Amino acid sequence: MKVSINWIKQFTEVDLPADELVQKIGEQLGAVEEVIDIGAKYRGLHIVKVVSAEKHPNADKLSVCLVDDGGAMKDVARNKDNLIEVVCGAPNVRAGMSAVWLPPGATVPASFDKDPFVLEARELRGVVSNGMLASANELAIGDDHTGIVEVDVSAQPGEDFAEVYELDDIVLDIENKMFTHRPDCFGILGVAREIAGITGKQFVSPKWYSQLLEELQSKQGAVGLRIDNQIPDKVPRFTAVVMSGISIKQSPFIMRSYLARVGIRPINNIVDATNYLMVLTGQPLHAYDAGKLLALAPKTDQTLQLETRLSRRGETLKLLDGKSVTFDDEETILITSHDKPVGIGGVMGGLETEVDEQTTQIVLECANFDMYAIRRASMRHGLFTDAVTRFNKGQSPHQTDRVLHEAIATIEYVSGAEVASAVEDEVTEYPENNVIWITPAFIEKRLGMFVGADQIQTVLTNVEFNVHKDADGLQVQAPFWRTDIAIAEDIVEEIGRLIGFDKVPLTLPRRSVAPTDRNQLLDLKYHIREILASAGANEVLTYNFVHGRLLEAAGQDPETAHRLTNAISPDLQYYRLSLTPSLLEKVHANIKAGYGAFVLFEIGKTHQKFVMDETEPAVPAERERLSLVFASDDKTWSAHYAGAAYYQARKYLDRLCSELGVSYSVQTMNNHADSDDTATDVSRAPYDASRTGLIKIADEVIGVIGEPRQQVARRLKLPRATASLELDIKLLEKYATSKQYQQLSKYPSISQDISLKLPADRTYAEVHQCIRASIPSSQHIRYQVEPIDIYQPEKDASSKHMAFRITAVSDRKTMKDTELSDVLDTVATQADTELSAERL
Amino acid sequence: MSNSQETLKHVAESLRRRIAAGDPVSQVLRSDELRALYAEIPTLPADERAAFGKQVNQLKTELEELGAEQTESDDRRPIDVTAPFDVNVSDQKRPRLLTSDKGSQHPIPAEIGDMIDIFYRMGFNVSESRQIDDDYHMFESLNFPDDHPARDHYDTFMSEEGFIAPAHTSTMQNRVLKEYKHVLADGEDIRVVIPDRVFRNEDLDATHEHTFYQLEGVVVGKDINTGNLVATLQTYMSQYFRQELNTKIQPFYFPFTEPSFEFAVERPDFLRKDDSEEQKWLELGGCGMIHPNVLSHADIDPNIYTGFAWGFGIERMVMMRYGIEDVRHFESAKLDFLRQF
Repeated sequence: MKVSINWIKQFTEVDLPADELVQKIGEQLGAVEEVIDIGAKYRGLHIVKVVSAEKHPNADKLSVCLVDDGGAMKDVARNKDNLIEVVCGAPNVRAGMSAVWLPPGATVPASFDKDPFVLEARELRGVVSNGMLASANELAIGDDHTGIVEVDVSAQPGEDFAEVYELDDIVLDIENKMFTHRPDCFGILGVAREIAGITGKQFVSPKWYSQLLEELQSKQGAVGLRIDNQIPDKVPRFTAVVMSGISIKQSPFIMRSYLARVGIRPINNIVDATNYLMVLTGQPLHAYDAGKLLALAPKTDQTLQLETRLSRRGETLKLLDGKSVTFDDEETILITSHDKPVGIGGVMGGLETEVDEQTTQIVLECANFDMYAIRRASMRHGLFTDAVTRFNKGQSPHQTDRVLHEAIATIEYVSGAEVASAVEDEVTEYPENNVIWITPAFIEKRLGMFVGADQIQTVLTNVEFNVHKDADGLQVQAPFWRTDIAIAEDIVEEIGRLIGFDKVPLTLPRRSVAPTDRNQLLDLKYHIREILASAGANEVLTYNFVHGRLLEAAGQDPETAHRLTNAISPDLQYYRLSLTPSLLEKVHANIKAGYGAFVLFEIGKTHQKFVMDETEPAVPAERERLSLVFASDDKTWSAHYAGAAYYQARKYLDRLCSELGVSYSVQTMNNHADSDDTATDVSRAPYDASRTGLIKIADEVIGVIGEPRQQVARRLKLPRATASLELDIKLLEKYATSKQYQQLSKYPSISQDISLKLPADRTYAEVHQCIRASIPSSQHIRYQVEPIDIYQPEKDASSKHMAFRITAVSDRKTMKDTELSDVLDTVATQADTELSAERL
Repeated sequence: MSNSQETLKHVAESLRRRIAAGDPVSQVLRSDELRALYAEIPTLPADERAAFGKQVNQLKTELEELGAEQTESDDRRPIDVTAPFDVNVSDQKRPRLLTSDKGSQHPIPAEIGDMIDIFYRMGFNVSESRQIDDDYHMFESLNFPDDHPARDHYDTFMSEEGFIAPAHTSTMQNRVLKEYKHVLADGEDIRVVIPDRVFRNEDLDATHEHTFYQLEGVVVGKDINTGNLVATLQTYMSQYFRQELNTKIQPFYFPFTEPSFEFAVERPDFLRKDDSEEQKWLELGGCGMIHPNVLSHADIDPNIYTGFAWGFGIERMVMMRYGIEDVRHFESAKLDFLRQF
């Protein structure tokens, strides 16, 4: 919202310097985004009288003028009569007129913001022109460049142009967001009132705005006007009047200049007058060409008529901006005439009934619309107009007649028109603002600052609240334009803001010494981060949203993923189903960047369609997951590693679980009866079943670990040595404890190795389990079974060899070798029986 | 069927058989039969040429795809996933962890960890947020009526089912108020911070991300006021920046707080270039006194209890701390970036 300080000054005194005012507004009203020094643009421009204008001797379209600047300008060439020669190309230049002169050295205002063009005395076809006479376009006040500006107020030659037209001004651009709940602050009047309030001054609204004027009702005219508001719930108030005897021309230059400086393009006197009132009060108005309305009426009923109704499917309307809208809804507010659409209510008027240069009679509408209906229409049709910005904040229905009254007077003044009909006003019942009961104690409880009843009364009365004070407290009624004030807390804000929140004393809340509980799941996540980072892995964050192609590449069905309706790009279309694909997707770029072997991990949440939260079934379940990927380029792999990359991922799982004190196992996928846990299945999709296992703790599957399927590897350009895991952190949390400690023995340990030849299909787990089971249990002896080697003879695919080192230690004595070799013999016998193992 | 069509059919069948039989696809693609088909194209009448050429190309693509499937059922044998290492792997090449100097935690969760550590000390609980939510929590329980213009400031992502990618961590306010309101009966205050990921429908550039992190704070009790709000933020910021810093608030508008503010903290010395007014303040986030309707939505009586809430972004803090030039690095998973932390 751009506000002109000079415009504000018409309603309240502003005695602070601009920078202090800006700071105060920032602290007590809303952030100022930009401070525009309007005056800087117009420095050194003068009003001049054109004394003579003769045809240029060498150019048909140019005139050579002598202008009188009252001697205001120094250092400029003058003739003997003290006049200055200026060449002018405008058709409307003539002797006797007053014009705006840009002397040599002045900057053309329209070029001020970029590429400033500085004038000089310059020869034009043999005649020296000392600067120029300016058109509105060159002055950056509208886009009229057909002729020079004719000064339309009384001013002496030599007067400062900026002063004459109040252009020695500052415009503040206050953030709109701040005014989301402030319909009044989308008008100069509202901001002026607030500036008075925060500078401790009593504001008095102009009479026409604050008081109900009887004379409006008494206005009469010969022309009949019918109003039919068919949707009073959407249009609380609809007010209109006919005005005749209009002559369309430019509005007074000062009106144009005020509109232009707050960012509104001047059009013609009627449109400018309605815009001027909108900028002033926040209340948009619309003028229809009455003749064009009648052209739409049936021959049999030539009455000026406006109705409001909802749109019908298939109807179309061509709007002022030239675009056509075809309605596919039945909830847009339409203004119609004899049932034919002539505008989208509160949004934009129709082209067919636009005011143009031939207009002599208008119907002037000033209505109030439901803010929610306006916003819906604006979003639905993609129309974001100045009217929408104001109506969707909830303008007060109490102001339509008052603003209409002032608009009539303005239009009379700028166009010579007269009221030609009665003022038609369809009003529904709408409430006055509540009387709110408030006490200094209530305010102190919320602000943390005591404000006495007298001060409350003063600051609120300054901005025209109605305040009645008694012994117990205050009855406060907000003025009609404050549709945002509904509850006592709203008054607290007003008091704090008008006094200044910087006055509030700062104290910390008091609390007991009882400690707060830590968030254990979050602590576990941080613990996991530490464990993995200290094992050389790098934590990454990737987006929740992925391309459908990534899901497909990972073997996942996009149909099971939440799909965004308004994604920024196809790359971010779906909520991911698991983390592994996102990590795999990041491998290739890092390999290309020259990283030989690395480990990435991510902790994140995943989602799946139709899988709802157990305790809150209205929202999707969020799975807390960890994924980790090991990858190595071929060169690094063959130099430093061997075998399947799977075992690298496994090494990380080992480290994680041992640090968390969890004992886990990995189970072959085909052994595991397919779980009906679909969420787990989704995360398994990218994995190659023959080189992947399920991670189990106790009897619960908590995740998956393995290598990607070939198809996945190919599509994501993965190196051959790629392996990953994905697990559910909440399931892991159930089992996480702390590191396991073994008490130290006073006696030495002894070790012996055993080597077994086994059928090739025996798994390591089976063998290890068999060994552990066949070691006799003892309270005092602790055995450790460590793998030394696993060997597959090249020529014999039917067998493999496994060697283990068994270490024993007693807490009572030094163990003898024979005791351990007896144990190994038992193990060998048992392995033979159970696994057909042959001891080597 | 024309002659050339018949030849094509025969050649196609024969080449498919060769691949099925295990002939390397590279050889099949270089076979004389296929070359002959290509050689035939220019000899055909103009009206058949294009169609035939297309068919031959299709055959070639098909053979390539068959070949790709061939390599898929490649040399990868099933492995024993229960073992700690693979068969026939020497000691030196056994699986091992990378050295710890390579490892790193991501700077954003790391920073959040530092932040919540301060809040734990200040007596706050910590909850994480949701990353997909419903309209009730994202808007309605926060006093955003349907079609309210305040919704314009939240360009949210929506799923086809009508769920929302939360645009602020305030989506958790209603839940944490309900979860912790039992402490009010004991005369304690609710104190919770909520760090997590949020989403805005914005185009990416060096300072804008559609995915970023926020930290929300909520305090509710019997005598909680605006002075407490500013003092709490000021205390936190001074702890965080390890320097006594002033905090100021400016009026703002949010539907879920009344009054609402933006808050700014004095720029700490290490971030200060000069003494100018523009350099003086860092605008960090929004805050305010919780709107009575928000308390009512959580069945907390706003006539008895009052509270405040705030939220600020995390990325900017991390970027300032390390001088990171582009917000897009955070989710890039580039090791060049990650290994610096």
